[in-house]
Amino acid sequence: MKLLVVEDEPSLLNSITRYFRQEQFVCEGATTYMDALRRIEDYEYDCIILDINLPGGSGLQLLKLLREDKKRDGVIIISARDSLDDKISGLDYGADDYLTKPFHLPELSARVKALIRRKYSEGNMAIEIGVLKVDMAARAVSYAGEAVPLRKMEFDLLFFLITNKNRVVSRQAIAEHLYDGESDQAPGPEFVYSHIKNLKRALKEKGCPEIIQSVYGLGYKLEA
Amino acid sequence: MLAGSVFFYLILMGHIRHMKHQQLQLKQNNFWKAFALDPARVPRQLEGEYLINPGAGVAADVEADSGNLAFLTQTHLLNGRAYRVTTFISAKEYRHLLIKAGIAEATIFAVLLIAIVVVNRSASRKLWKPFYMTMGAVRGYDIRQGRCLVLDANTEIEEFDRLNKTLLALIEHVDQAYRNQKQFTENASHELQTPLAIIRSKVELLSEGPGLNEDSAQLLQEIAEANERLSQMNKNLLLLTRIENGQYPEVECIEVSGLLERLAGFFQEYYVNDGIKTTVAIEGGVEVTANPALTEILINNLLRNAYIHNIPGGWVDVQLSDKGLVIKNSGPAIEGEAEKLFDRFRKGRVDNRTTGLGLALVRQIAQLYHYDIHYIHQAGVHQLSVSFR
Repeated sequence: MKLLVVEDEPSLLNSITRYFRQEQFVCEGATTYMDALRRIEDYEYDCIILDINLPGGSGLQLLKLLREDKKRDGVIIISARDSLDDKISGLDYGADDYLTKPFHLPELSARVKALIRRKYSEGNMAIEIGVLKVDMAARAVSYAGEAVPLRKMEFDLLFFLITNKNRVVSRQAIAEHLYDGESDQAPGPEFVYSHIKNLKRALKEKGCPEIIQSVYGLGYKLEA
Repeated sequence: MLAGSVFFYLILMGHIRHMKHQQLQLKQNNFWKAFALDPARVPRQLEGEYLINPGAGVAADVEADSGNLAFLTQTHLLNGRAYRVTTFISAKEYRHLLIKAGIAEATIFAVLLIAIVVVNRSASRKLWKPFYMTMGAVRGYDIRQGRCLVLDANTEIEEFDRLNKTLLALIEHVDQAYRNQKQFTENASHELQTPLAIIRSKVELLSEGPGLNEDSAQLLQEIAEANERLSQMNKNLLLLTRIENGQYPEVECIEVSGLLERLAGFFQEYYVNDGIKTTVAIEGGVEVTANPALTEILINNLLRNAYIHNIPGGWVDVQLSDKGLVIKNSGPAIEGEAEKLFDRFRKGRVDNRTTGLGLALVRQIAQLYHYDIHYIHQAGVHQLSVSFR
């Protein structure tokens, strides 16, 4: 998978590319409008992570040119502007998703993967970890053929952890992910704790080993 | 005017007395002249005119009123004989004159007084009208609503024109400062997002690093927590500014009962580990019309507050009825005034789990929807109530 990250802050650009390279993405970076424009014209990407405020021009302008060129590259806007109007105008220009800074890297990763999954619509929307099977389309989970009953939030939590498997996902990132779009304020750790506990219990009842680990209080990790 | 009237009345009285005296004296003199010419032919008495009392001896003059008559008695000498002569005139006319003059005077006084009051009042009302209009406009002005203040700059009274111009300039100035302040908060919040994002991403990269051990994980966690707090504070500040700017116009009917039950459940389950007991009494079907995001923030912050400012082994009691929401909790005493609790960055005590903006947000949201909030603290029990109507 090939990724372009357009972000004028080198330090943040570096964090993002590094995070995605660890997930076997081919990742390129651009810090200016012109640099990004050249890359967009010359290559095709599975996903472009696009900041709006760039030296030399606007990310929205890049997006407009891209869509005028009939290029179907997936685009996720990352911006410090978080008003509804900003989001709507971003999506109007043809962005596939919009993420507000400061974001969590696991969240960005989940959005990128969701976008790629939609784009290639692999038909088989199920993920298997050993005998644990998670069917995205049916929103169903089974362990060794036996259905694991999960509530909506618990399913979303499990899916988020699987998307970021073998990576540490902080409680805050989980809270914000589960609450996405519902509120400007993610609830505190109370909320995540309760869902993790319920999810673990539900998996354990069907005999699933403890795949969700707490990492020194930093967050949780699903090992597979 | 009153003194003038009294003075006039006194002068008139004095003059009337003088006139009476003059007339009596004239009559006395005339009569005596007539009598002295031929004492034998003049009768001794004529009712209402005169009375002669011969040989009464010498005595002082007497002048007085008697019923409707006024009289003057004087002693005259004729051929070595003393005569007491009394002349009479009618006193009625003089009395009537005095009474009529008094009534006329009182009437003029009353009419003038009323006229002065009426004219004065209507003139001042007209004269001060621009002033009262300015007062009314200024009283109705609220800087937070962002509406312009309109004052008449041409009132035909120079002083008020100047007053209005000065006021407009002042308010323009204050308004500009207020807008700058708000703009600053919003811009500062946005500018903070990028460095916050950088710190967050670095922490996330580090927490996957191969060199992670318990010690470094502890340090990382502390960095992450501080950063999350900063990030939350930033979000809350932005949120406060947005509520102030009226950027949450969307409202819908929200079932508070269900929302509260769900949120209280999370807190209850989490804080059971701290030994905090929760009792919940929620009446079903309580609804409000408000912005869903703001309602959730309101309830979430109130609940969070009750648990965070608690004591180990304490309790939280949540009650919801159609009258409103009442949250009680055990907790240490709070220093300072209760009202100040709702101020920004006013913390009851040092706590690294709070941003100092939670209750400020609650107040802002309550103000937006005209909810009443009351806080009381008594004998280790804190009670916060919100009435939705």
